[in-house]
Amino acid sequence: MTEPLLSVDNLRTYFSTEEGIVRAVDGISFDLAPGERRGVVGESGSGKSVTAMSIMGLIEPPAGEIVTGEILFRGQNLLSLGEDEMQDIRGGQIAMIFQDPMTALNPVYTVGDQLVETIVLHQDVSKTEAREIAIQALDDVQIPNAKEKLFDYPHQFSGGMRQRVMIAMGLSCNPELLIADEPTTALDVTTQAQIMDLMLQLADDRGTAVLLITHDLGVVAGFCDTVQVMYAGGIVEAGTADDIFYNPQHPYTWGLLGSMARLDAVQQDRLHSIAGTPPSVIDLPPGCRFRPRCAFATDICGRILPQLREAGNEGQTVACHHADEMDLKTLAVDSSDRIVKQDEVVS
Amino acid sequence: MLAYITRRLVYGLVTLLALSMVVFGLLQASGGGPLNRLRLNPRMQDLIQELTELWGLDKPVYQQYLTWLKNYVTPEEFGLQNAIPIVMVLAAVGGTFLIARYMKSHWKGGVILLMWVVAIIVSVANMNIEFNWGVSFQGGGSVWDLVFSRAGATFRLGFTALFLALLIGIPLGIYQAVRQYSFFDQLGTVGAFLMFSTPIFVVGIGLQIVLALYLEKWTGVKVFYVAGMNEPGYGDLSFWGQMKDTLQHLMLPAISIALISLAGYARFQRASMLEVLHSDYLRTAKAKGLPRRTIIVKHALRNALIPIVTLVSIDIAFIIGGAIITESIFGWPGLGSLYITAIDTVDYPLVMAIVMIIGIGIVIMNIVADIMYGVMDPRVRYE
Ligand SMILES: Nc1ncnc2c1ncn2[C@@H]1O[C@H](COP(=O)(O)OP(=O)(O)OP(=O)(O)O)[C@@H](O)[C@H]1O
Ligand SMILES: [Mg+2]
Repeated sequence: MTEPLLSVDNLRTYFSTEEGIVRAVDGISFDLAPGERRGVVGESGSGKSVTAMSIMGLIEPPAGEIVTGEILFRGQNLLSLGEDEMQDIRGGQIAMIFQDPMTALNPVYTVGDQLVETIVLHQDVSKTEAREIAIQALDDVQIPNAKEKLFDYPHQFSGGMRQRVMIAMGLSCNPELLIADEPTTALDVTTQAQIMDLMLQLADDRGTAVLLITHDLGVVAGFCDTVQVMYAGGIVEAGTADDIFYNPQHPYTWGLLGSMARLDAVQQDRLHSIAGTPPSVIDLPPGCRFRPRCAFATDICGRILPQLREAGNEGQTVACHHADEMDLKTLAVDSSDRIVKQDEVVS
Repeated sequence: MLAYITRRLVYGLVTLLALSMVVFGLLQASGGGPLNRLRLNPRMQDLIQELTELWGLDKPVYQQYLTWLKNYVTPEEFGLQNAIPIVMVLAAVGGTFLIARYMKSHWKGGVILLMWVVAIIVSVANMNIEFNWGVSFQGGGSVWDLVFSRAGATFRLGFTALFLALLIGIPLGIYQAVRQYSFFDQLGTVGAFLMFSTPIFVVGIGLQIVLALYLEKWTGVKVFYVAGMNEPGYGDLSFWGQMKDTLQHLMLPAISIALISLAGYARFQRASMLEVLHSDYLRTAKAKGLPRRTIIVKHALRNALIPIVTLVSIDIAFIIGGAIITESIFGWPGLGSLYITAIDTVDYPLVMAIVMIIGIGIVIMNIVADIMYGVMDPRVRYE
């Protein structure tokens, strides 16, 4: 096996707020190989963005703090780097694209200024050369008239075009890792697909690994090699896209898949949601965090927090005490949209 | 943009007309009559006659108003020299347009500002125009002369105070935002609220007592004067002597005005900087790997200063009217103290003249603020 590009080990990122300590990311570990595309899915508030921000070193003390863990990038622990060294990596070797392109660009500088700024920062080129690179980068993301667009301000671009600019900016320095945090959520559906295609194609051309945070399971199924499912600050299941989609081991994963609209499902005329709400990550009960919503929960689930262990296919991991024992196929959706075991369905 | 400015000017004129009517009406309604005091003096009968004719005081109110209006806007003197200011202003408008359109540089806003400052200074220096704003009901002096003899003092005080307030308030607010919740930030916040809640006469008199009276008593050296603008022997002093004398008089009233507006600027700047610091585009700037200094200075500051421009523009308009209380406390011979006397004596040509100057200042500075806004923020379009 090749050495991973990124290796996150037991990362815990907490925020102190007035209500208490928010354990936004609570002990997650995963590896990312060079060129790999990894999808990160999970409900809102499960810690996906905080994971990304932690890797980028954008967690701001004193409110937020990485309390333990290691983030090895090419064998180097990012958490032990000084601010100067981290600045070289940010935008240079690890780039990030955010959710809302409407507000992600500085309104008072031209798009060209902002692109050139990044390029000059990370590459040893003159301003003129940087401008050429910037034009090429805009060309690559299929922005017409790139040369003139350089002098336009962000407000002169549409949302989709701005996200293209962000992609151009992210990829202009040929990073080894691109973190995209719901890059298309804020766009309309037709644009979404184009932008996602474009981004992943460009990343492929450059051999850039992608950590793709998304709510769109269709995108994950179509584009990602591996997937990790997050729940309340932890990873509950991880594996290849095929493992997750065809052989889910965790009831939560099963629930997530169930909430995906399937065009081929004739009898399923509506999306069903997972019953209950995600727990507050402030007062976490001991034991499995999914227990209150789980149809298989037993005694042990209330006492011990399950760790990731291998289950299902080879290489697939799941954090559940009852993995292998459960028959998820016996789960069904009852008349009030709750996930229950089939034999409990009251008709 | 020209169409926009024209429209704003027309609205401004309407506003000013309305303002003049309301103030004129209020003065009439306040009773007492402007000539009552003069009537007590038998030697003033000729003057009363003259004023009554000039202002139509025996006519109905609306006719008096029209007479006033006609006098107010009709120039008595209008030399050919006035072409210079007109040309300067037109050139500055054209220049602004060209620079905004074609110059590609971060210093665009600065260049435009500089151009306007030069244009206005040259214009004012070459202006040769005088209006018949009538004679004061008090001593009978020309209102125009009276106002302009006081304007210099008011400008000196007002702009010194503004300069001090900006010089300290803006960096203070920025620093507080960057170090939010630090000890220094908390201190600044407490200080600002203290300044806000202290009435200006307390600040003024406090400064007089401590920095003028006691400081001299303790050290034996005269550092600041309690009141006035210059000492009687001012004209005989050397250049440096004059400088020193000027500052010794100017600093206390300037500081007392500055302290309060400084608190305002610091609060406002802190809030606007905090908003920018939490914006998405600042997160992008960080994610690009820019050094902290560049993030703050280039990406945050430029955005955080935009709202301040409006605030400062409007404050300048109020400076023009004079600082009424501070000028009274420090015996400063500016428009503010003149205004108070004028109101006390229902000297309505004088009151109207000063009110209208403030009004015109506000209208113009509002337009200037909007233009500056557009120069600094590319998203603003004038339609
Ligand atoms: N700066 C912060 N201060 C306090 N709490 C925070 C902060 N940032 C995130 N959190 C908390 O951390 C938890 C995880 O947030 P995160 O943004 O990672 O969720 P997410 O999985 O990205 O959700 P979404 O799908 O809505 O983007 C949430 O409970 C959130 O309230
Ligand atoms: Mg998120």
